[in-house]
Amino acid sequence: MAASTDIHTQAAENEDRILRFWTPILLWTILLVAAVILVFGLILMTSKPDFYVARFHAAQAQRFVAKTSFAERVALAAHGDPHSVMTLGLYTLTLVPLARVAFSFLLFVKERDYAYIGFTAYVLTGLIVGMLLGRMG
Amino acid sequence: MLEILVGLIALSFGAGFVGALSGLGGGVFIVPALIIAAHMPMVVAIGASLISVVATSAGASVAFVRDGWTNLRVAMVLECATVTGAVVGALLTGMIPAVILEVLFALMMLQSAYFTLSKQDDVLVEHGDPLARRLQLVGDVPDDAGNLTHYETVNLPAGGALMVVAGLMSGLLGIGSGALKVIAMDYYMHIPLKVSSATSNFMIGVTAGAGALVFLARGNVSTSVAAPVALGVTAGALLGSRILPHADVRILRLVFVVILVLIAIEMGWRAIQGI
Repeated sequence: MAASTDIHTQAAENEDRILRFWTPILLWTILLVAAVILVFGLILMTSKPDFYVARFHAAQAQRFVAKTSFAERVALAAHGDPHSVMTLGLYTLTLVPLARVAFSFLLFVKERDYAYIGFTAYVLTGLIVGMLLGRMG
Repeated sequence: MLEILVGLIALSFGAGFVGALSGLGGGVFIVPALIIAAHMPMVVAIGASLISVVATSAGASVAFVRDGWTNLRVAMVLECATVTGAVVGALLTGMIPAVILEVLFALMMLQSAYFTLSKQDDVLVEHGDPLARRLQLVGDVPDDAGNLTHYETVNLPAGGALMVVAGLMSGLLGIGSGALKVIAMDYYMHIPLKVSSATSNFMIGVTAGAGALVFLARGNVSTSVAAPVALGVTAGALLGSRILPHADVRILRLVFVVILVLIAIEMGWRAIQGI
């Protein structure tokens, strides 16, 4: 029983350590991405003000512009298109908590905790399946 | 253009600020704000809100994690339920008429108001049920004197079922569903309130992220709306969480209940007009 308790305590300490390590990094990632969105928003505002207003009114009318593939979006962003950079920024913001699940998955793999490997793998799979179903829908 | 941007950021900043002060999160306030003040359709408001909820959750969880309140194991087990609900909810949003979403939103506002008024003291259990013990859903919390008190958990199936509903509401309505999550953990599973709040906050990012990914993949997120909203809500939430420790919580609680009831009435009235 004492050995079992030691293992549980060790596991709890490992989990606490990984939480404390990754959480501030992920916060700074979010702040950095927010800064990038802000800068490119200002660039969009000054370079293409009509484009922004047109997109805003399209959203009010629930007219979504045709889907752009992720690869196309990256290519546009690489050419400095501010709207594409902002969209990729939103993707990055969304992926931050998923990174936390992925780190947890790796932690449980290291601990060989098969039940929790299953739980985290289920969550990651659910997120990927949701994205694929959204793409099809 | 400038007035649109400034208006969106100001609206979102206010929603994030009030959301942090109330402990309910920005989503509860930004969705109706975008619908009522910015004349956005429900789907656009939900997509923008989900992304802002992800951003604010990451910011708010830092203090909880630093102080050791977050229970990673409880979060991972229950996220299986919330992510399932959130993905289904986000997929359904495109199919369900806006009237039904408005009614659901009004009901969630009333539930949040009730939750805000009815917070009770912790009822800790020393011996959890076999399933919870097997999954090591246990922990220690410091009491007022600084001594560690051990807690265990019970009723995982009931808590999990409510988490599916919380995820569904998050994906359907663009909110974090923190109030439902805390009820599932605190009331059903007897997890201490502060641990429930911290763990709920940790989970909200993943739940909202699941819904946001569906919206992004479906092309239902307007960057022109979601980007300024995410910036505004995050900034408002950061300021709100700094002011919260110095605020008179009892008065704030009553103010928020009034706001929530007013939003519920407005959303319910919109639904009636839409029928």
